Amino acid sequence: MTRVRVTAPRQSAAPASGRVVHSHEATEDSDAGRIFVRSLIRSQLRLALVVACGFLVILAVLAAILVYGPGVAETRVMGIRLDWLALGVGIYPVIGLSAWLYNRAAARNEARYRDLVEDK
Amino acid sequence: MSPAVGLFAFLAVSLATAVIGFYGLRVSRTTSDFYVASRTVPPWWNASAIGGEYLSAASFLGVAGLILLSGTDALWFPVGYTAGYLMLLLFVAAPLRRSGAYTIPDFTEARLDSALVRRVTSLVVVAVGWLYIVPQLHGAALTIRITTGLPSWVGSTAVVAVVCLTVVAGGMRSITFVQAFQYWLKLTALAVPVVFILLVLAGNGTPPQAPLPVNPTGQAAAGAYQNISLLVALLFGTLGLPHVLVRFYTNPDGQSARRTTLIVLGLLSVFYLFPTLSGALGRMFAPELAQSGQADALILLLPGKLIGGVAGDLLSALVVAGAFAAFLSTTSGLVVSLSGVISQDLFGGSVRGFRLAAVMAAVVPLGFAFMTDTLALAGSVGLVFAFTASTICPVLLLGIWWRGLTDFGAIAGMVTGALLCGGAMVAGTLTGAGNASAWLAQPAAWSVPAAFAVTVVVSIATRNRVPASVNRVMSRLHVPERPVATER
Repeated sequence: MTRVRVTAPRQSAAPASGRVVHSHEATEDSDAGRIFVRSLIRSQLRLALVVACGFLVILAVLAAILVYGPGVAETRVMGIRLDWLALGVGIYPVIGLSAWLYNRAAARNEARYRDLVEDK
Repeated sequence: MSPAVGLFAFLAVSLATAVIGFYGLRVSRTTSDFYVASRTVPPWWNASAIGGEYLSAASFLGVAGLILLSGTDALWFPVGYTAGYLMLLLFVAAPLRRSGAYTIPDFTEARLDSALVRRVTSLVVVAVGWLYIVPQLHGAALTIRITTGLPSWVGSTAVVAVVCLTVVAGGMRSITFVQAFQYWLKLTALAVPVVFILLVLAGNGTPPQAPLPVNPTGQAAAGAYQNISLLVALLFGTLGLPHVLVRFYTNPDGQSARRTTLIVLGLLSVFYLFPTLSGALGRMFAPELAQSGQADALILLLPGKLIGGVAGDLLSALVVAGAFAAFLSTTSGLVVSLSGVISQDLFGGSVRGFRLAAVMAAVVPLGFAFMTDTLALAGSVGLVFAFTASTICPVLLLGIWWRGLTDFGAIAGMVTGALLCGGAMVAGTLTGAGNASAWLAQPAAWSVPAAFAVTVVVSIATRNRVPASVNRVMSRLHVPERPVATER
């Protein structure tokens, strides 16, 4: 067997496994293509900001209720203090739900973009 | 606990890691195998590996220890660690995968078309990685000292040795196997003892009741500023961690990068229930550990303390194995990503260079670990997150979402963040733990906005340096890959 010297391709990795192809070559040459890409980026950013802000507002409201709500933190649900229950368990489904909703909406944005480009 | 238990558990985990590592050697053949496992890892496997890599000494030992020390204030740590992944999903996951870059310096160089930015980013990434490895080694030292009575240096040296061997042997391909295995080991190692303890307590007629409002250290609760600053650090620090980012390149496309992140969020949520429960149990039944300064060892000592006998020994062995899985997996993940960066910049990216760089990446922090002493594990990792959030996060977020970012802006932002946050860390250490004022102890709330502001202002001032390639790169980051028939 011969020894082969392998070197890393610097940040020019090919799309994985040949299963997918970047479709930007088709779009970036035309003005319309550039506008589509811009609006895709804008809608993805808007979506990410909305989900992030929504989550942070929920977090802030929860923290405020636990700190300033009189007696709320000490309330016991099934013998466990509410502040432990909310921060130790309750917040995680909120994180998961935010992520799931985001994934669906982001995929929808991309599907809409694809439709636009392919209609062209 | 008898010393043999700890030693046996450590040897078993090391052996398992090495075996999986050597098995991986047979499948990794090319350089891209070494770096990113050829991007053929399925989402569930990849998500377990990400979880395995992310859950470090701070999560495994530190969170429970901190809950023992400071109660509900410490519950923000696991919330922040998990929510950090939400931010990563929202702002970084898919675009970064689509960028096609292997490492963060690759990304910044491609995005800003500047070799200088690449070099500065590499420096920052290496600093972050080294800072993050040190607490892992402290954790290993603590675990070996507590469980076997051997001197501290044995633990940290052993971890570095095992990591070097695995990484040098198999690179990322075997690392992915190892990490996925270690997530499940860690989860089992935390969950089984906690469930067992709860069952035993219930059987003894001591119902698992609410944590008593004991405050074992008598420390005042952290103020709102500290909790907010901590959250800023954890939310925005996660998306800049080099070992987390490199994992996203192992997804086949942007969509699957998102799916993987969603699974990771589920895995983390399940995992963090158990340190929280252990911390609460510790507050009820072992508050004296906090007074004797052994809070970080709570997870290790709890089974022996509450159960004892053979069952206690077996559970202790399991916990020690899980702890070493945590040190090994995070350290090896960091070492792989650091050696990716070091070898591409110093050794031209050959496999030999990668191996050399791996040894460099692991041995330097070992020196740091010898020189420094362990603080609270979760706390010192929190500072690393603050540093990442102040340096890498602004460049990454603005690079992905804002066309106006320039190379000078990026460099100015990274330098500002590093100086402010690094300065606060040094000043905080010099004034001594516990004495530093809140804004030095938790710098993220001001150092992160400052880094963002400087990046934006300098970028606008050097507007003419926006790279000509910006449109092409931006569409590469955001345009979905075209599905080829097979999908859906």
